[in-house]
Amino acid sequence: MSKTETGARKGASPRPKNKLARANDRTLLLMTLPALLLYSIFYLYPTISNLRYSLSKWDGFGVPEFVGLRNFRKLVTDDDIFNKVLSNNIEFTFLVVIFQTALSLIFAIFLLKNSRGSTFLRTLYFFPTIISSVSVAMVWQFLYEPNLGPINVFLNSIGLDFLALNWLGSETITLRAIAFTQVWFHTGQMMVVYIAGLQQIPAELYEAAEVDGASRWQQFKSVTWPMALPTTAVVMAYTTIQSFRAFDLVYAMTQGGPNNSSSILVTLIYLTAFNEFRFGYAATQSIFLVIFILALTALQRRILRTRY
Amino acid sequence: MKVSKSAKAFRLLIAGAFAASVTVLPISGGFAAGETLGAKCTNEGESTGTFSTSLVCAKNSAGRLVWTKVKLSASNLKPRAALRAPRGSIEFWHWRAEDKAVFDQIISDFEDLNPGAKVTQVISNSSDYTATALQKARTNKKAALFTTFRGSQFNQAATAGFYTDLTNEQFTKRNVIKSMMGAGQYEGKQLGIPLQSLFNDPIYNIEIFKKEGWKLPKKFSEWISYCKTAKAAGYTPMAWMGAFRPQAGQIINSALMNTASTDAKLTEQILAIDSGKDAITVKWFKDMAEKYADLRDAGCFPDNPKGVTEAAGNTLFATGKSPILPTGSFSMGGIIKLEPKMSGNMGITGMNWTEDVNARYTGITNNTFILGVNKNAGRTEQKIARAFLSYLLTGPVATLYANGTKQHVTVLDVSYTDENLRNTASIMSERLVLAPRFIFLNQGVRDILEDALIAIVGGESVDKALTDGAALIKQKLG
Repeated sequence: MSKTETGARKGASPRPKNKLARANDRTLLLMTLPALLLYSIFYLYPTISNLRYSLSKWDGFGVPEFVGLRNFRKLVTDDDIFNKVLSNNIEFTFLVVIFQTALSLIFAIFLLKNSRGSTFLRTLYFFPTIISSVSVAMVWQFLYEPNLGPINVFLNSIGLDFLALNWLGSETITLRAIAFTQVWFHTGQMMVVYIAGLQQIPAELYEAAEVDGASRWQQFKSVTWPMALPTTAVVMAYTTIQSFRAFDLVYAMTQGGPNNSSSILVTLIYLTAFNEFRFGYAATQSIFLVIFILALTALQRRILRTRY
Repeated sequence: MKVSKSAKAFRLLIAGAFAASVTVLPISGGFAAGETLGAKCTNEGESTGTFSTSLVCAKNSAGRLVWTKVKLSASNLKPRAALRAPRGSIEFWHWRAEDKAVFDQIISDFEDLNPGAKVTQVISNSSDYTATALQKARTNKKAALFTTFRGSQFNQAATAGFYTDLTNEQFTKRNVIKSMMGAGQYEGKQLGIPLQSLFNDPIYNIEIFKKEGWKLPKKFSEWISYCKTAKAAGYTPMAWMGAFRPQAGQIINSALMNTASTDAKLTEQILAIDSGKDAITVKWFKDMAEKYADLRDAGCFPDNPKGVTEAAGNTLFATGKSPILPTGSFSMGGIIKLEPKMSGNMGITGMNWTEDVNARYTGITNNTFILGVNKNAGRTEQKIARAFLSYLLTGPVATLYANGTKQHVTVLDVSYTDENLRNTASIMSERLVLAPRFIFLNQGVRDILEDALIAIVGGESVDKALTDGAALIKQKLG
């Protein structure tokens, strides 16, 4: 090897790009600019503005008044409504994630085969997903009406009047009633995700399990569940985020009532900003929401020990 | 030509009859249905219509109630014709989707009269309007004409300098009923014109009341008796919709109206709660809340009251299961859509929460849908907006709007031809106060205290509901 060659390697400086390559780089960079610009206008700027507003007292019209960390202090130490709503949100998310994930997995397992009946039922279960959320809310609001609603009318007619509850008017039941609607609304969608995931599991694994004499339950426990974990992680993460974003359903059904018992963080943020005109405080609440969802998703990933 | 004495007398008689007819006919033309000229003037404030020639029942210098031709507008001059609009286009921002068809017709007529001028409606529902539409309109040069609710929303827009001053406009001085303009005033200036005159008083089913032989309750104990009687007859006495705060909260207007001896004191005590100076556990508020419990115990409200939605409440009333809808005149349009047979079958009555039939107030009114010209709009756009506003404030156009939308209006020279408007015009004979619910300027505080009252109707004890609510308000304002 010549000295010149060695020296060139020692210096480890990349070979200077030719003009064409540099021009290509510039073109590529320019091609990302429109997207970057849109991202900056619609995501980056609002995010930075939100941070700024969270440190201010602002009614949405006048000039924001800088108040430092006062909003954060109040949020953490002196806001019972926020605490109640946070606890509602945790309960709502828990119920929705557990039931929606479990039901969608069960439906997916039963409807995995591509028979005519399965296809029909898949379509049927998926159907609610294509309806607008406000329509779903209106329909369920009607069904849940305590005096004229079909659910209570039916329960009363068959003598189960003790089960005819004040679905959207009781502080202990309303949140669960809405959670049920949310599960009904989105289970079909998650079922489709599961079916796609389950269809990727190699048939040989089940054949091997059958040869080993594994029962249906053992096959599920040892093959289906471990192989479906990455899909479960996706379903759970998506369902969690979905349940934090269930604004339309909650707002259209109860506006968070009665007495904030069905309010979740997004409805509270909306009402704080646009009903009470406390934009600064609403910005603080929204930062908390982002941090909370990030933490929860990280926790889920840790529990499921998977990367997706 | 020589004229005989008898012919002269005949001519004088004819001239006298003509003079009498041109004087009297316009007055009687302004009467509501069922009213006759010469009807006894017994209710102070009762008015025969919104014509500039209408009569009002008022005290004379001797303190006796007499029909008086009073100046309804701010000037003695006749209402003014609409201004001419320059060429150009504007947006008219509001929240009343149900008025769209009527406004379309009015706009079309306006555009025919003003070639080159174009008005486009931009409509959001009321909650979105509060939330975002007003914000967007503020920075939109085309959004020259916009509306606000009375109270917090109007105040906020006024504080932010959103309005142009309409104080010196001729239509402000001559075309509208002066006493109904307060809701659009801020720091002595007329920044907006409230177009609608609403009555936040219970609507009742005329046929059921006639069939059952009931009389309208005139004092609180009569309301309690009515509830017990109606309940015993198998009705839901009041189709109160506890799952929808905006409508559930309408009766707080009646509850509040006689809680103070003067208007100033009423405002003062409400603002004391609004600002956190007083808690809702204060005696006067607690006394009022106790009456909610009395109504609850008398069976006035539907079963499971906190779960009754607006749609369910309206259905209860429209299907005759409930004789009273405790919301207001603005609900009538929706009821008729639900059950067309209800047209002409709805009356309106005040709800007196005291035992004194001569209490200071016996009913509620509200002036809202406050029209304003956007200060941030372009100059030409502002001119078009003023012209369109002046057009809306002329008698024939306001008549079209009122009858088409089933809303009473604040404009002079309006004839109510719709039977529902005529039936409910009787409320004008009550002693009306401007809805006190909107004296609360902090929406967050008002929501909490209304939630507390809803909780009481739902079965919560007065003490607990008010104590819990007071704690939340304290935090909210802290």
